[in-house]
Amino acid sequence: MRPRSWAIPVRYVAMAAVALLFVGPFLILFTTALKPSDQQVFSFPPSLLPWPPAVDHLVEAWHAIPFGRYLLNSLIYVVATVPLYMTVSALTAYPLARYAFRGRQLCFYLILSILFLSPEVMLIPRFLVVSELGLTDTFLGVILPSGLSASGVFLLRQAFAAIPAELPDSARVDGANEFRIFWSVMLPQVRPTLAVLGIFGFVSVWNNFVWPLVVLKDSDKYPIALGLAYLDSTLGADARTVAAGALIALAPVVIVFLAMQRQFIEGMQGSMKG
Amino acid sequence: MTTIASAAPTATSPVPAPSDGPARRGPARGNAVGQARWIPYAFLIPGLAFLGVFFAWPAFTAIQLAFYRYDVVSPPEFIGLDNFATAFTSPDFWQALRNSALFLLMYLPLVVFLPLLLAVLVNAKIRAVSTFRLLYYLPVVTPMVAIAIAWSYVFHPRGGLNWALLELGVVDEPIQFLLDSTWALPAVVAVEVWHGLGYFMVIYLAGLQAIPQDLYAAAALDGAGWWRQLTSITMPLIRPYFAVCLVLGGVFSMQAFASIYVLTGGGPQGGSSTLGFYIWSEAFQRFNFGYASAVGLILWALLLTFAAVSHRLSRGDAA
Repeated sequence: MRPRSWAIPVRYVAMAAVALLFVGPFLILFTTALKPSDQQVFSFPPSLLPWPPAVDHLVEAWHAIPFGRYLLNSLIYVVATVPLYMTVSALTAYPLARYAFRGRQLCFYLILSILFLSPEVMLIPRFLVVSELGLTDTFLGVILPSGLSASGVFLLRQAFAAIPAELPDSARVDGANEFRIFWSVMLPQVRPTLAVLGIFGFVSVWNNFVWPLVVLKDSDKYPIALGLAYLDSTLGADARTVAAGALIALAPVVIVFLAMQRQFIEGMQGSMKG
Repeated sequence: MTTIASAAPTATSPVPAPSDGPARRGPARGNAVGQARWIPYAFLIPGLAFLGVFFAWPAFTAIQLAFYRYDVVSPPEFIGLDNFATAFTSPDFWQALRNSALFLLMYLPLVVFLPLLLAVLVNAKIRAVSTFRLLYYLPVVTPMVAIAIAWSYVFHPRGGLNWALLELGVVDEPIQFLLDSTWALPAVVAVEVWHGLGYFMVIYLAGLQAIPQDLYAAAALDGAGWWRQLTSITMPLIRPYFAVCLVLGGVFSMQAFASIYVLTGGGPQGGSSTLGFYIWSEAFQRFNFGYASAVGLILWALLLTFAAVSHRLSRGDAA
C-alpha cells in the first residue's frame, strides 16, 4: 500500500494551521510588548507588526515591579523544592519496591490515598497547619508542602523494582550497608526517572500559583507567577508593559523546555506506559 | 489509571523472587544477608512525616473545621451542620456548583476528543513532525498567568476575536467576553482547554505508538479502509488511554484557578466562579474558614464520586 501522494502535504498544512493556534497567543504577547507607544495595541483591523519595534516596555516592566527579585525567588523555590521532593519520594519508594516488611501494603495505600486529597480541598486546612507551624509568609511554608508527591513515589517505585537483584546482592557480599547500597548502587540506576521528576517538578514549582498566593503576604517573597499577576492587577491598563512582563515570566521555563524537549515528551510518555 | 493499576505488588528483593516458594514469603522475612528489620522503616520516616504533617493532619482539620464557625481572629465555635445548611441555601454556592458542572461539561469532551485528533495528526514518521509536537505542548509548560494575560488580549472588546467575528458578520457589535455573564465562563474554559490540549495529546500519542504497526498492514491486506482501521483497530486499542484522559480531565477541570483569577476574578457577579474558586474567596477574601471548609468537603465528596464512577466506567470497558 503506497500512501497517496497528497497525503503528506495535506498533513503538513493541517499541522501548520493547528500550530498557528498554539503559537498565536505567544505571538500576541510578543508583538504587544514590542509595539512603540504611538502604535495602537487594539485596533480594527488588528495591527500585528510592531513598527518600529521598541524595547522600552521590556525595560519598563523590569522596573515596574522587582522582577529580578521575583525571578530569584522562583529559582530559590525550584532549587529547594525539587531536590527535596526527589529525595523524599526516592526514600519512600525504595523500601516499598525492594523490601518485604510488616506494614508495607498499609504504607503503600496511605501514599495512594494522597491522590484522593485534591489540592483545592486541602488548600484551607493545609494553610491552617502551616500557620500552626509558624510558617506562613516564609519560604519554607511555600516549599515544604510539596515535599511528597504520590506520582513521584509511584514512578520511582516502578523504577526501583525493575533493577535486577544481582546488583544490590553483590554490593551486600562486598559488605556495603543498606543505606550505602541505596545511595551508591540503586539511586544511580533510577537516574532517568529522577530526571523526569526533576523536569516536571521544575515546571510545576515555577508555575505554582494558588499555594504561594495563600501562604505569602510579603511581596518580597513572591515567585514570578505571583509577581506577574500583581503587575497585571496594578498596571493592567498598560498592555505593552504587562505583555513584556509576561514574556519575562515565561521565558525561563520555555527555554528549559526547549533545551530539554526530548526528556519532556519521552518522560511523559514513559510515565503513561508505566 | 495505568500508574495505579500497575502498582500492584511486584518483586520484593533483596533476594531474587522467581524461585521463591510459598515458605519463603510472608511479611518481614529476614534474609540471607542478615539485614536488620528496622531498615525499611528507617527509609520511610521522612515520607511518613510529610504524609502526616501535610496530608493527614490537614485532612482531619478539614473535616473538623467544617462543623465550626472560624474567622481566624476569634476562637472556633462549634455550630454543627450550620455551615452545610448555609451552603445549601446560598445562591452563590449553587451558582459556583452550577459553574463547576458547566465547566466540566464543556471542558471534558474537548480535552478528551480534540487531543486524539492532534495525536493522530502528529503520529507520522515524517520530517519535522517532532517540532509540531513541541509547539502543541508548549502551552502546558507555560505559566497560566502569562497565558491568561495573552488571552485577555484576544478576548478584548477591540481584540482579534471580536474583529474576526465582526468581519464575518457573526455579531453586530463587540462582545465584552470577560465581563459578560454568558461568555465569561466559556472564555475561561477555552483558555484552560488550550492550555491542556498538548498534555492529553502526548498521552494519546503514547497509546497510538503502542499499537503494533502490523495490525494496520494486515487490515489493509484484508481491504480495510482508513475509517475501518480507525474504528476497528485504533479506537479499541486506545481505550485505556481514553480512560486516563477522562479521569485526568475531570481532575483538571476542578483545579482551574489562576485562569479565573487573572481573566475574570470569578466575575461578573460570580458568573465564572467555580467551586474551587468560591472556596478560596470565601476563605481568603471573606475569612469564613469554617464555611469554606464545609464547601470543600462537599467538593471532595463530588470528586470522589466522579473518580469512582469514571473508574468503574473505564474498568468495565477496558477489561
